[in-house]
Amino acid sequence: MSETVRKATTSEIVNHWILALSCILLIITGYGFLFQLKQVYALFGSNYAMKVVHNWTGIVFSISLFSTLFNYLHESISMDNDDWNWIKMGGGYLTKKAVAVPPMGKLNTGQKLYYLAILIGGIGIGASGFVIWLVPGIRTLTIVAHLVHNLCFVLFVVAVPAHIYLGTLANPGLLRIMISGTVPLEVAKKRYPKWMKEIGKL
Amino acid sequence: MSTTTDTRKALLISPELCIGCRGCQTACKNWNQLPGQKTINSGTYQNPPDLTPSAYNIIRFSEVPSQANPVQWLFVSRRCMHCGDAGCMKICPAPGALYRTNEGAVAFDKEKCIGCKLCIAGCPFDVPRYDAQGKVSKCHLCFDRIAEGLTPACAKTCPTGAIKFGERNELISVAKKAGYAKVYGEADLTGLGTLYAFKDAPRIYGMNDSPAIPESVIFWHKVLKPLAVIGLGGAVAGALLHYVTVGPHKDDEEVKKS
Repeated sequence: MSETVRKATTSEIVNHWILALSCILLIITGYGFLFQLKQVYALFGSNYAMKVVHNWTGIVFSISLFSTLFNYLHESISMDNDDWNWIKMGGGYLTKKAVAVPPMGKLNTGQKLYYLAILIGGIGIGASGFVIWLVPGIRTLTIVAHLVHNLCFVLFVVAVPAHIYLGTLANPGLLRIMISGTVPLEVAKKRYPKWMKEIGKL
Repeated sequence: MSTTTDTRKALLISPELCIGCRGCQTACKNWNQLPGQKTINSGTYQNPPDLTPSAYNIIRFSEVPSQANPVQWLFVSRRCMHCGDAGCMKICPAPGALYRTNEGAVAFDKEKCIGCKLCIAGCPFDVPRYDAQGKVSKCHLCFDRIAEGLTPACAKTCPTGAIKFGERNELISVAKKAGYAKVYGEADLTGLGTLYAFKDAPRIYGMNDSPAIPESVIFWHKVLKPLAVIGLGGAVAGALLHYVTVGPHKDDEEVKKS
């Protein structure tokens, strides 16, 4: 068996699944609220039950998002020229030809930007959600929170499907990082040369 | 709107006819089986001081002395305005919690209310209140009475005609014939279901001159809601399009090249 490198620890994998599943559940119930979808409400038995599910899933999501700070934040806020060049060529995703993208570290530029967007959007949607839930009745505050919650929702419903696509269909084999957490060394050398250099594999 | 203007019922409130007896408050509690409550002296005859979960309507008392009229007492019946374009219904996430009756009233179903309190944010008139169980409470224009051809309890009991109930169009023409050039609520928010015959500017009576649903709620309704659908659809369509036209990333080809 060929050598592999560990890209994600068990706790990272578990937390990512918690984040992903809670996020999807929140999006589904979110659409239920947004358009008063009786079919979605029906999945939960009663109107009130869906609200309870949405609120408590929000707590799970928030804790999970907080945990990601220790996994992805440091890497995501360190950007250099390679990242800028990566953006300029759209990460090589815009052409059919196999193109050489600038050398990347453990996370590529797109993943860093995605993480920062989700972090900021997640703080926005989480904080505003708790305001709507726990500080009701202060009209101006609720109005602002409602707006922020929905602006962030739009970000999520665009970014999350794109993230899922890029992690599955667009990059066959990438999903294994979410399951075993490992990547074959040969693949890792191509995708994460900077990281490989750091840990002395390249 | 689901109600045509022909069938829409309304209340016409004429503060000049009100003697402040508050029979309307009592009749409302009676019909709707709402408990009495401890009140506080707010320094005026107004009692209770504001709408509560068990006070769907109140008589607002305000003393507005002017040079021409040094003793001007105004009694204004206040309750849900049953807006044609109702901010509470717009923002409400729970299907069936706030709904429009055939007569044009904005009624509520506590069973379906999820207690999110967003309707407070959507209402231009600070009307919705929440009961001890966290469910919405407000005037529902006695939808159960008017559906049977009866008059709402408040209007039924009003001894002076300060609260009149009837066909909305008729009430407007009655008020106009009585000399009120402008009927408050005739056109605001596509027409209110609680109309006022004011002799002076609405603000003298404690009403907003131009009531409106908060702009952010309108923006959310007109822009963000469609965007949430277009955004998801666009992301999924974009991914499929990318998969078909550009195709998945191939590490191997990259290797050959480098």
